[in-house]
Amino acid sequence: MKLSAQHTTTYLYSEPVAICHTEVHLSPRNVPGQKLLSFELEIRPEPDFLLSRTDYFGNSTTYFSIHEPHQTLTVEALSELEIESEEPPCPELTPSWERVRDQVREVASEDCFLASEFLYRSPLVGQGTGFGAEFSNYALTSFLPDRPVQEAAFDLCRRIFKDFRYDPRATNISTPVSEVLKLRAGVCQDFAHVMISCLRSIGLPARYVSGYLKSGENTRGAEASHAWCSVFCPGFGWLDFDPTNDTIPRGDHVTLAFGRDYSDVTPVKGVALGGGEQIISVSVGVGAPMKTRRGTA
Amino acid sequence: MLAPDGTRRPHWTGLVDALNRIGPEGLDERWQEGRRLIRDNGVTYNVYGDPRSTERPWPVDPVPFLIENGEWAEIEAAITQRAVLLNSILCDLYGPQRIVRDKRVPPALVLEHPNYFRACRNLPVPNGVWLHNYAADIARSPDGRWWVLADRTQAPSGAGYALENRLVSLRVLPEVFGSENVRRLASFFQAYRTSMRALAPRVENPRVVLLTPGPYNETYFEHAFLARYLGYTLVEGGDLTVRHNRVFLKTLGGLLPVDVIVRRQDDAWCDPLALRPDSMLGVAGLVEAAWAGNVAIANSLGSGVLESSAYSAFLPALAKHVLGEDLKMPNIATWWCGDAAARKWVAEHLSTLVIKPASRAVQFEPVFGASLSAGERKKLLEKIEANPNAYVAQEQVALSMTPAASEGHLDARHLVLRVFAVASNGSYTVMPGGLTRITSSIDSLVVSMQHGGGSKDTWVLADNPEPAFSLLRTSSTPLQVSRATFDLPSRVADNLFWLGRYMERLEMVVRTARAVPPRLYHDPDPAGVGAISVCWRVLTGGGWLQHEDGKAITEAEWSRVKPAERAELLEREVLDMVCGEDTRYGLRIALKEVQRLAWLLRDVISADSWRVLKQLEMQFLADPPDGPLLVSWAQNLLNHTLISLSAFSGLISENMTRGNGWRFLDMGRRLERAHQTVQLVRNGLGFEELVNEHALAAVLEVADSTLTYRSRYLNSMQRDLVLDLLLLDEGNPRSVAFQLARLREQVAELPESRPTTGHAREVRLTLGLLASVQMAEAHELTKANGSGQLESLETLTAKLLADLLLLSETLTRVYFTHAVASRQLASR
Repeated sequence: MKLSAQHTTTYLYSEPVAICHTEVHLSPRNVPGQKLLSFELEIRPEPDFLLSRTDYFGNSTTYFSIHEPHQTLTVEALSELEIESEEPPCPELTPSWERVRDQVREVASEDCFLASEFLYRSPLVGQGTGFGAEFSNYALTSFLPDRPVQEAAFDLCRRIFKDFRYDPRATNISTPVSEVLKLRAGVCQDFAHVMISCLRSIGLPARYVSGYLKSGENTRGAEASHAWCSVFCPGFGWLDFDPTNDTIPRGDHVTLAFGRDYSDVTPVKGVALGGGEQIISVSVGVGAPMKTRRGTA
Repeated sequence: MLAPDGTRRPHWTGLVDALNRIGPEGLDERWQEGRRLIRDNGVTYNVYGDPRSTERPWPVDPVPFLIENGEWAEIEAAITQRAVLLNSILCDLYGPQRIVRDKRVPPALVLEHPNYFRACRNLPVPNGVWLHNYAADIARSPDGRWWVLADRTQAPSGAGYALENRLVSLRVLPEVFGSENVRRLASFFQAYRTSMRALAPRVENPRVVLLTPGPYNETYFEHAFLARYLGYTLVEGGDLTVRHNRVFLKTLGGLLPVDVIVRRQDDAWCDPLALRPDSMLGVAGLVEAAWAGNVAIANSLGSGVLESSAYSAFLPALAKHVLGEDLKMPNIATWWCGDAAARKWVAEHLSTLVIKPASRAVQFEPVFGASLSAGERKKLLEKIEANPNAYVAQEQVALSMTPAASEGHLDARHLVLRVFAVASNGSYTVMPGGLTRITSSIDSLVVSMQHGGGSKDTWVLADNPEPAFSLLRTSSTPLQVSRATFDLPSRVADNLFWLGRYMERLEMVVRTARAVPPRLYHDPDPAGVGAISVCWRVLTGGGWLQHEDGKAITEAEWSRVKPAERAELLEREVLDMVCGEDTRYGLRIALKEVQRLAWLLRDVISADSWRVLKQLEMQFLADPPDGPLLVSWAQNLLNHTLISLSAFSGLISENMTRGNGWRFLDMGRRLERAHQTVQLVRNGLGFEELVNEHALAAVLEVADSTLTYRSRYLNSMQRDLVLDLLLLDEGNPRSVAFQLARLREQVAELPESRPTTGHAREVRLTLGLLASVQMAEAHELTKANGSGQLESLETLTAKLLADLLLLSETLTRVYFTHAVASRQLASR
């Protein structure tokens, strides 16, 4: 199935920004079941300097800077993709979660080594005293002894969906994940961070996935950039879970980038000199490919 | 100092004999001299968490620590080997990650380390060197073996203090230094400079800057000292900017490209875009510029990942694997608690171990297992079990002793030596010497400057005298004559401008406070009363006399004070200006501001000026006497302050290169002096009924123009003449007109003052200011209107004050706008 995604971020400033440096993770990466057909990045005003690279995790990232004073900055990303709906593995066939934990701990293979990157504390997950007992206790309700990892992880995903309230006003960008666990509320980034913390607290590699969700009935997080998480399983690769929607991503999710947590793959981040008050607006639309390409507007 | 068999090591003989010859008293005398040098040079170390003051004089011991050349050669080889090894590890961690894959280093140690920066992996570094500056803390056990205690790979500090200690020991023991063939440090700094220059091979004369986190860093003194010694511009993150993927220094003359950054700031804080987003000290885009190869950074960003004592557990095996060699100097036996087997061992042997943080991400003081009760041990083990990766255990080693001077006799202290190496020509050059640090007491085991330990010079004794060598004559290709002074960071210009203003403000406070008391106890004739009233007006007008709540004392209130009590009131107020610790507009507040600015400007202020300022500071340390002596004590203090202040401003303005830095200092002074003098004229001469001879004399004295007046008009006091001299006479260096003329000249020379059409705003302002005094006439200004007010003087002075304020604001906006804060853009 072909999909197109449009992601627009606009910054409005009360005073001119003298110079800004910005880094974006907006180009969808190729992952199993997803192929990028085309990608365009439109930035206004025109950057004085722009450069794209592949980051540590293999995501495509673009860095740009604007040296002229400006009061509006618009970053628009347009992607076209081919998405296939892949069946998740049959839960009973996946190994027990303890076996996954031990294989990664022993660095049993190159894949296990690469996965071990997602085993530890990272800037937004596990800070302070590490993954406290509150996370492992929450996780162990799902991760019963010898339970297949896929089954246990999906159970954890469902519990987060059930126990947590989706409420954009409950948290903000700097709310620590331990606080989210106490509040039992937040948005998709928060739920992904909670699930990652739970998985890592019991020694399972978990990564953060940034992306989009095709809007439909009863989906949450489609109007803005979305986030979910995946857990590593030797022989099966990375298994995705969306705790915000109680689903296993399949066909409706567009993967932009993955990293240890939000800080590795923030869609748009930057540093600006000046600017006064700022208003940020983000809009995301995912749907069937547009017939006509965007005109001169 | 003693060999394992208890005999004195032979290379100490020369020094011990010399110390015996000098004797305890002689040594003490020389030590005073050394301490004076330290104080005068302003050598300090900032101590975190000290509420009294953040700065503390650098504690140095007059007796150097001696190492004989053969032993030194072994240390040198061991440090070089270790630096090479650590560099290879960095290359691997930020490249193929083989040693982690092969579990020669546990993945958690690297991947979880807060200073493992993924943005820096595969970053192209010049010549494959990640570790340019390396330092190791080493110590000797009583059996004479040296051990490595810790590695410094981030931004090692101490080389500058080692150099400073050398200056002190040269002052204290010059004859011994010569006769003992002490190896010199200059060759190391020469290698250092060459190495930094070589990082920008494409540029013929690269601009090297030293990046400091700023004056509140614990070793800021050293940053300023090294920058000056090595000839680098000292910059803070805010002085740099990235444009088109190149790093530039923001100067008054515009943006100047930067080729090499010697980094004394931890890597995490260097780029708020790619590294820690909460950094206010960084340069956004720096990492990208490094990726493009447009700037070299020493040490490379990310090198801090090795600052963990946990690596010591794996280095012996890594040395064999990477270099095919054994470590030439062992490190202290170390166990990383992240490893389950090691953790078990640690639990069983806790009483013989020291527990330390595994990285700087976790902060706590080393815990000595031996000194813990059974309960405390259990608690500690539980803490380790909860977060094992954060803990390291090390064997507790007995440290050897060295003599240290203490209250007139020699005492024994434990010592740790910090040795420095710089990457050069594919290997490392080790400083022949180092920073010896000693414990604060014989019982103390923790060697730390933060904990009140001391330091010493380190003498490596060569067999033969070394040829004299100086850093000043090293350049193989002669430099071109340069008169440019344009690479002055805007931040420095800002500080110089305000230093100029505060120096003048302080001088004005002193002169005013000094002029008042002698006029208070004249015979109570009408003339004396007039003088008191003028003093009052000058003091209130200058903002000095106020109620507690900051409101000025009104005319009506003053008139209610009984004439007999007025003198007493003013005396009290003046003494408060002089002695009050936090009197608003008082002397001490103004002095503190001068000191603060001078401190921020340490790298551009000469050592002599700094010394004068230190003297001034000392004068204010004494407690004022009680009772009737207080007034004469205050007068005396004011006299001395004025002399020191004149010396300070003289040294600064006379010795500073006539570039933009000096220009901003001078403009600050002129602007403030003009402002203060206009105020003085306005308040001192503006009221018909009060002006008499005594009042005029007081005003002349405050404006320091008594002599000029006498030379022109002898003893005849006349208001219009005084007014002309202070306001309009361009020939009087204290007059307002003189200041304005100078300001006009200076402003015209500024880099931004030559737009293509017309004049810049600041130029127009100075032209207008000067014209308004040039067109005024003293006789007109002193004409009173019907109600006894000098209307035209009032109008003129009000306009002058307003325009001076406008000029200051304009200069700030045009030249100092670097201070605009940057902010994060992020959304979710």
